[in-house]
Parts: sequence; C-alpha cells; structure tokens
Amino acid sequence: MKPLLLFGLIVMLALVVPPFLPWGYDVIDWQAVRAPALSPGHLLGTDAVGRDLLARALVGTRVTLAVAGAAALVALVIGVAWGAVAGWCGGRIDEAMMRIVDLLYPLPFMFVVILLMALFGRSILLVFLGIGAVEWLTMARVVRGQVMALRERPFVLAAEASGARPFAIMRGHVLPNLAGVAIAYLLLTVPQVVMVESFLSFLGLGVQEPLTSLGILVKEGADDMDMAPVALLLPGGLLVAILICLTLAGERLRDRLAA
Amino acid sequence: MLALLLRRLLTALPTLGAVILLSFVLMRLAPGGPFDGERALDPATRAALASAYGLDRPLGEQLFRYVARLAQGDFGPSLVYRDFTVTDLVRQGLPISLTLGGLALALALLLGLGAGIWAAARAGGRADRALMHGATLLTVLPTFVTGPLLVLLFGLWAGWLPVSGWGGGDPAHLLLPVIALALPVAGAIAKLSRAGLAGALAQDHIRTARARGLAPAWIILRHALRPALVPVASYVGPAAAGLLTGAVVIETVFALPGLGRYFVQGALNRDYPLVLGVVTLYAALILLFNLLADLLYGWLDPRIRG
Repeated sequence: MKPLLLFGLIVMLALVVPPFLPWGYDVIDWQAVRAPALSPGHLLGTDAVGRDLLARALVGTRVTLAVAGAAALVALVIGVAWGAVAGWCGGRIDEAMMRIVDLLYPLPFMFVVILLMALFGRSILLVFLGIGAVEWLTMARVVRGQVMALRERPFVLAAEASGARPFAIMRGHVLPNLAGVAIAYLLLTVPQVVMVESFLSFLGLGVQEPLTSLGILVKEGADDMDMAPVALLLPGGLLVAILICLTLAGERLRDRLAA
Repeated sequence: MLALLLRRLLTALPTLGAVILLSFVLMRLAPGGPFDGERALDPATRAALASAYGLDRPLGEQLFRYVARLAQGDFGPSLVYRDFTVTDLVRQGLPISLTLGGLALALALLLGLGAGIWAAARAGGRADRALMHGATLLTVLPTFVTGPLLVLLFGLWAGWLPVSGWGGGDPAHLLLPVIALALPVAGAIAKLSRAGLAGALAQDHIRTARARGLAPAWIILRHALRPALVPVASYVGPAAAGLLTGAVVIETVFALPGLGRYFVQGALNRDYPLVLGVVTLYAALILLFNLLADLLYGWLDPRIRG
C-alpha cells in the first residue's frame, strides 16, 4: 500500500503546512517577483507576480482534491443508486436503465462539461456537480453486476423469504457487500475527476482566480516556464504524483477483489 | 455483418439525437446571452439582433430549423467571430485537428502495439513488468503537463524544435504536439495489447503450434495477434474521444489553429452556435469511431459476429 502512503503524505502536507508558511497563497511580495528557489521567506521561489510558489501549490492541491473528492462522491451516490436499483429490480426496469447507461457511455463528456461551464458560468459548485453527474456510468455498471450476483446469494434469499422489506435487505445485506468494490472504483474515479478538473482549470473554465487549483498553476507555470521552470514542475509533479498514487491503489484493490 | 452494422447504427443515431437535443435545451436554459456585453444594448437593437439570428421564434421551431440546417452541413453563424459561419470555422480548423489526431493515433498504435507485443512475448519477466509500469505511468500523464514539459525540454532548453505555432504544416512544428497527444493513448494500447496477447498465447492452439516447432515470431504474428487485438479494437472509440479532448489542450498549448481552440474560445465567449456545432460534430465523430470498433471486432474475432 505504498502509493496510498505517498498520497496520504501529500494530503497531510497540503492540509498542515500552508498556515505555517510566511506568505499566503494569494499575497504578493513586491520585493520578490520571480524569486528563485531558496530565497528568504520563499522556499521554492515566487511566480511572475511575486506570490509564494510552495503556498500556491499546496493550496492548489487542497482545492483540486476537495473538488475531486466532492465530485467523486456525487458520482458514487448516483452510480451506486442507479446500479443497485437496476440490478435488484431486473427485468424491464433493468433493461431500460442500463440502456440509458449504454447510450450515454460513448458520449464526449469532457465536451458536455465544457458546454455546461460555458452556459451556466464558471462556479466551483457547478464544476463538481457537472463532473460528478457524468462520471457515474462505470460505477453504475459495476454495482449492477455485483447486485445481480448478490441477489441470488442464500442470505439474501433467506432475508427475502423471512419477509424483510427490499429497502431493509438493501441496507443490511446488499450495500455492505458492495463496499469493497465501490471503494476500489471510487479510488479510480477520483484521479479521473482530478484530471477533468485540472483540464477545465487549465483552459480557464474551471476554478477561478483568486482561488487556485493545480490546473491553474500548471497553466501559469507553462506561461512562465522560460523564466521559472519550478512554477511548472512543482504543480505538474504534484498532480502527476496524485494521479499515479490513486490509480495504482485503485487498480490493486480492484484486482485483489476480482481475484 | 450488414445486420450488425444496421443494429449499431440504430443505437448510434438516438445517441446523436440526444446530444443535439440536450445541448440545444441547455443552450436555451442558460442565463445571459451572447449579446450581453459591457454596455447594455437598447431594446430595438437587441430585438433586431435576436430576429436576425432567429432567436425570437418559438423554441420548437428554432430546434427544427437547427436540425434541418445541420442535416445540410450548415452549423449556423458564429456569434463572436461575426464575419464567419460556424461551418467556415469548422472547415478551417477540422483539417488541422484531424491531421494532429491522425498522426498521434498512428504514433500511438506504433509505440503501443510494439511495446505490448514485446512485453507479452516476455510475459512475467523483468522487461515486461518495467514496460507495463511505464505504460501505466503514460496513461495517467495529463497532456497539459506533458505538452509544456516537452516544450520546456526540447524547445526552450535544447532549442531543437519550434516552441509553438502551425508553421503551415511544417513537420518540425508538428512533432512535439503529436508526441504529447500520442503518449497516453500509446500507454493504454500497450497495456491492452499486452493483456490480450498474453491471454491468447496461453491457449491450446498456440501450444500446438509451438509443439510443431514453428518460429515464435511467426506464432505471434500468424496465430495469436488477431484474437489478441480485440481489446485494442474496443479501445478505438475511447481513444478517439481521448485524442479529441487531448487535442483541445494541445492546440491551446502549442497555439495551433485547430477546431479545439475555436471550441475553447467559443466556450469562454459563450458563442452558442460554435460550441453546439463542435460538440455535435465531435459526438458524431466519436460515435463513428465506436461503429468502426464494432466492425473491427467482428473482423478480428468471428465468434463475436451475429
């Protein structure tokens, strides 16, 4: 579980360190525009307008992870509910619900999310609602398969035969058995959502200034990389590390549960 | 085969219809409009503009007209690029985006299949594991990080290649964008082809071929590769989607005048017809590639036909 350890470390740093840094993420130090790394007060230097790079990267990580976590939870709730109902009911309801998933699956979602951002203005709430609402499809498919298998298991049949209500069976017997798979796919959904959020922010359609996120920082760094490569490498490196850690952890958990 | 094609078309068309309907409805639900500028327009001008663009008609009629025009390849006027129709912009940008995407797909197939076959032939070994770790790494690398990074390394520091611009289709200008765009797709193809081939090589008819003393390379090419490519074929649709989305970023990073850049500008400026047109076009392209994947499937593995 080394990848999760590194991820935990990044989260801890992002949560704990910023208040102890001498400069806030949005405070301009007029004396130190584009300061190199290891300048007094700025461990990793400053950006093109004199804001502390380390503080910005850590706060950006916070925002990116918060948006991604919230969006992944939206996806989890919709996906599990949709898949569980379809798998439990079976028959025509199942067919209709899965048909909708099949229809939505090949759509270019990145573009639909961009469309949403363009239409309804660029609010952070909409960013994660929009992303969450389009990332639930895989979860719904996986959960449906699991529920269909669980439905035939003796303990579920026994609960049904003893007259338990479907809702109670779902809560008491089905959902707890779904937890493992749901967590594995949640771990795999988060990096995808991180990617979408950073993508949108990079293009200027996601999180808006003065708030910052890793996508915005990569964009700023890319604009200024000939002067200060750290401005690109630091947020880029953090982003890639987060993506790799979560993907590896998710894949491992998924494969272990499948075996 | 024809029946399969027809059935797939029957599912693809409603999806496309849903995209058009959804984006059309969303457009009209959106608060604010394209004519909301710095200064408020006087009501007469606003009414004239609305009627010129047909925005004063009932919604149903607007939708009907839009779809009817769309069927003739007319995406309507761009609201921000005032002297251009969306069709003009598409005609200008699409070839560039397709060149970029096509070259990236070719490169990704070359690298991905090569690495996948190489690794599968050594399944379980150290080279296999190293390659597959590399492939996983590639699949999670976002294009908006690799793009600027490549520019920094080869454009700014080494000074070997131009930093940005189209350069009239000059290959040196295309090299970095194509590589940046191809890398994640190459990683995914490598993983899929390795998994498929390793599975195919474990089957009975391969053991028989080995027992007959055929050359390992011949066994892979003649007997194992075709069924092993089924998972790769299933990835064609998502790959197309990934390349199109990636192209949006890459065109922004490298300042290429492709369709993706117009799309982002349109989204930032709330140019409805432009955004709607590009989303519809992209959806159609992606559905087309999914269709292609289904046909490839049947050709690669006859058991799936029917």
